[in-house]
Amino acid sequence: MKSLTLDRASFWYPATASPALRDLSLEVAQGEVVALVGALGAGASTLLLVAADLAPRVTGGRLTGAVTRRDRSGIVLPTPWTQLSGMAFTVWDEVAFGPANLGWPPHEIARQVDRALEQLELVSLASRDPATLSGGELQRVIIAAILAMDPGLVLFDEPAAELDAEGARTLWRLIRLLAREGKAVLLATSALDALADVADRIVWLEDGAVRAVGTPDLLADVALCDAGLGTSVATVWRAGGLPQPYPLTVAHALQRWR
Amino acid sequence: MIPALRLEGVTFSYGPVPALENLSFSIAPGERVALLGKNGAGKSTVVRLVAGLERPDLGAVWVGDWDTRDCVPEQLAWRVATVFQHADQQLFAPTVRDDVSFGPRALGVGEREVERRNRRALEDLGLTAHAGDHPYDLPPALRKVAALAGALALEPALLVLDEPTIGLDRVLRARVTRALLDRSAASVALLVITHDLTFAAETLERGVVLDRGRLACDEPLAGLLGDATRLEPLGLVPPPVAALSAALDLPGRPVREAEVARELARVARGRPAP
Repeated sequence: MKSLTLDRASFWYPATASPALRDLSLEVAQGEVVALVGALGAGASTLLLVAADLAPRVTGGRLTGAVTRRDRSGIVLPTPWTQLSGMAFTVWDEVAFGPANLGWPPHEIARQVDRALEQLELVSLASRDPATLSGGELQRVIIAAILAMDPGLVLFDEPAAELDAEGARTLWRLIRLLAREGKAVLLATSALDALADVADRIVWLEDGAVRAVGTPDLLADVALCDAGLGTSVATVWRAGGLPQPYPLTVAHALQRWR
Repeated sequence: MIPALRLEGVTFSYGPVPALENLSFSIAPGERVALLGKNGAGKSTVVRLVAGLERPDLGAVWVGDWDTRDCVPEQLAWRVATVFQHADQQLFAPTVRDDVSFGPRALGVGEREVERRNRRALEDLGLTAHAGDHPYDLPPALRKVAALAGALALEPALLVLDEPTIGLDRVLRARVTRALLDRSAASVALLVITHDLTFAAETLERGVVLDRGRLACDEPLAGLLGDATRLEPLGLVPPPVAALSAALDLPGRPVREAEVARELARVARGRPAP
């Protein structure tokens, strides 16, 4: 079942003449992880804001076309520190802030908060003041705070940006788990090398429009490599002048090399 | 030669929470150092100490021949330029151009020189087209690049950057790399916190790794980045290109993309066709 459908959506930020999204159609199904890739300014972050119903409702601007959401959404912004409530003095309370504002009963709030803290490996930080956390720890807290609201559609903008290798591994595993639980996940990331194991579909955005859609193999495509959007392994394989098809990952490269 | 930066037995805590313990290392002029480690290892605390925003509980931080305990941050700005983790908080002027000019103007640099530095920093980072934009109209990743342009315009002896490549595409990352290599060639020392080991491999030469506030490792990146067994206990994973180089046992185990591509091509030419 479709969680999110955009049908020929175009979006203009306030006081701009050219659209940030152009005639864009996209569906994200429950249980699916869709990754948006593109050059900076291609429209991935804008698409996430539209999907979250923040654009134009909060940003201003103008939206045309149709956007249909079947599920409540939650978005992790690329500036997670701006998502802190500022009203909580422990990590536990911060993560509970969203569920509490949904008017849930205390036992349900506690269940969701404890679960989210466990999923993000934050249990040991539950009583810490969010103001004392490192950037990566804070990013995990914000992700937990969004997941504790149990959104059916989860939107991530550069969710691994401040995470260390272990934190990033945990996050990518969690995103697959969310999909297995039936959530729809739409994410934008410049961490292209992680996507082979995470995304079901890759959507290549260029200048606010969909340029191509495919499986993660798309990230080893010549055109994507030329656009700087191939995986590191595909890109270096191409730069070495080795024949196509380019390998997506180190494991693929080893198979090709033998 | 006096190091651009020297930490001598630095210990620091945030109240009851220890952040750094007896940390010592130094950076020579022109040296390009990656400060690596898990989240919470103390990396950003080092940045705050070097920028003079915190004072060590024990030990000393030297910037050139200045002891930071004797300096206020605005004095250190003559030698150190910093891009903080959340660089949004560094941007406040109504245009990118004004923001980049603010630092050198505050140091009393003449207008013609301010203009030269401004133009160079914006050109080097591909921001010229955004010079008249409000910084907050830029995407978050570009805001960080704008903050970096402001740091470059200070023309410091030491550049300290906290996660400079978050959200950047390959083209912009390459621009950042080029700009930093240029500055390093002109004897500017670099201390760069990053989880992006692909960027580190391309741009930096030495890895200082922290583990729970202590120095865990200090050695050339070229040898370290391809060695998964040594990286793993430090909470690091080899970048894919270095992992490929190691997996294929390429001669010299290069870790930079251009070198790996060259070795791949050379070895492939010498192999029988599949």
